[in-house]
Amino acid sequence: MIQNFLSSWDLFHLSYLAGWLISFLLSMIGVLVVARDQIFIGAAVSQASTLGIALTMWATGVFALDRFPWFRSDVSLSVMAVVFSVVAASITGRGDEAGGESHEAITGWVFLLSASLSILIVSHSPHGLEEIHRLLSSSIIGATAADVWIFSMLSVLTVSLLIPLYRKILLFALDPSMAAAIGMKITVWNLITSAWLGLVIGLSIRASGMLYTFGCLVLPALVAKNLCRKVRSMFFVAPAVAVGTSAIGFLLANYYDYPPGQMNVALFCLGLMMAWMFRRLREAGGG
Amino acid sequence: MEKDDLVVRMEGLSVAYGNRTVLEDVNLHVRTGEFWFFLGRNGVGKTTLLKALLGMLQPQQGQILLHSEFTDRNLIGFVPQRCDLNPTLPTTVNEFVLLGLAGIRTNKREAFERLCWVLEKMKLEEMKDKNYWSLSGGQRQRALVARALIRRPKFLIVDEPTKDLDLTSANALMESLTDLNRKESLTILFVTHDLTLAAHFATHIALFLEGRVQAGPCHTILNQENLEEAYGVPVSIWQEPSGALNVRINGRAGGTGGLR
Repeated sequence: MIQNFLSSWDLFHLSYLAGWLISFLLSMIGVLVVARDQIFIGAAVSQASTLGIALTMWATGVFALDRFPWFRSDVSLSVMAVVFSVVAASITGRGDEAGGESHEAITGWVFLLSASLSILIVSHSPHGLEEIHRLLSSSIIGATAADVWIFSMLSVLTVSLLIPLYRKILLFALDPSMAAAIGMKITVWNLITSAWLGLVIGLSIRASGMLYTFGCLVLPALVAKNLCRKVRSMFFVAPAVAVGTSAIGFLLANYYDYPPGQMNVALFCLGLMMAWMFRRLREAGGG
Repeated sequence: MEKDDLVVRMEGLSVAYGNRTVLEDVNLHVRTGEFWFFLGRNGVGKTTLLKALLGMLQPQQGQILLHSEFTDRNLIGFVPQRCDLNPTLPTTVNEFVLLGLAGIRTNKREAFERLCWVLEKMKLEEMKDKNYWSLSGGQRQRALVARALIRRPKFLIVDEPTKDLDLTSANALMESLTDLNRKESLTILFVTHDLTLAAHFATHIALFLEGRVQAGPCHTILNQENLEEAYGVPVSIWQEPSGALNVRINGRAGGTGGLR
């Protein structure tokens, strides 16, 4: 199996590297999403990013924007994916407002609106519909060297922000009222974290599709939550679970000729089930 | 504001939510080592005034002046009414308390020393490796106070910490706070609707009436007329020969502790 995987390296190494980097990066950010108990945000933001792509494809066709080189390139799709996911993350990242709509309701609205519109907009364009279906079902086979570079940079940046700001980030995620009381500007923090989440999800959607992006965002962090005794450890365990599982996922997908994105997400889900059992056993043992 | 030992000065302060004015013309001077109680019925604006003090709500009129050593807020500790922590997260008491150091530069050794000091003060040493959510209500409340105290504050603001506690846990918490106030000269601002606690522990009281605040030393504010106006029920209040203050609301005996 390993020999088989190694022989596929020349052809698919960019996809493997991009897949591991995406899983590493998203799983770290996912710890914050899970800590804030805002898991559904990941799905809504991913879906909004797909809407951005669908809208760009539609506008390019209707207004003949492909006259301009920028609209012919993939960059326009990536930029719109990021813009839409940043906007969605900002809308869904806000807390409940007394007397207003609940955070879950807003998140649900963003998800459903994006899911329906992204299909409606491209439904009369065979190529567009195919592209949206490809994004929704996830495929990391087409990852490029640029993707590998972008996700490497984002990973380094995320780690180098996380280390010095660890306590502030954690306090903001876990107890925003206390964070506000010690002088942290919660609105600014909300804005920055939403923008970062939107940026990473938007770029990841273009490279790997919705299923893989959402899976990497929440599942490794949930596995870590069940395995760890401290939130701090989750920041180490979640990326380790993400990269380790996706390595096995790529190996199996390559050997049995299955789609790698789906294989990885299925393995994450299996891992989460095992983590639940581990937690139950630990609690039963008084640990 | 650099004048003598003033910690906070509120001058002609009005606070509002939108167009609804909650408090008007509040004047309050808090000095080092005082133990203030914000006292009044639920919904009269105690927490609103706290929010204004913490900069979470802009005053409609007037001003709040903090001593210059408190302007970066590192020396202010805050214990919220409830903790927003996600209950499904794995968090040990140690980790929870250390969160209080957010925004304060410490090395590992200093952080550890502060942790040991605060766990001892709050009698949490034996629970330090336990999950925060496995603690009793009283222990959790002490952990919340510990998280504020690890910042080594000189001014501690506590919002209704005894609200859901049984008498024993509430007393244990109050004893710890009194100890800090007396021995470390910690200035404390304590929000509660519990009159008996104020009779036991306050040096100063801000009594919240409908839209206004009467503030001053405990013995001048805690009188029958003020309390009946604030609570809307008959109140008896008298001083024991020992100096202890006693309060009775509708036949329920209140404080028997010393009025300091």
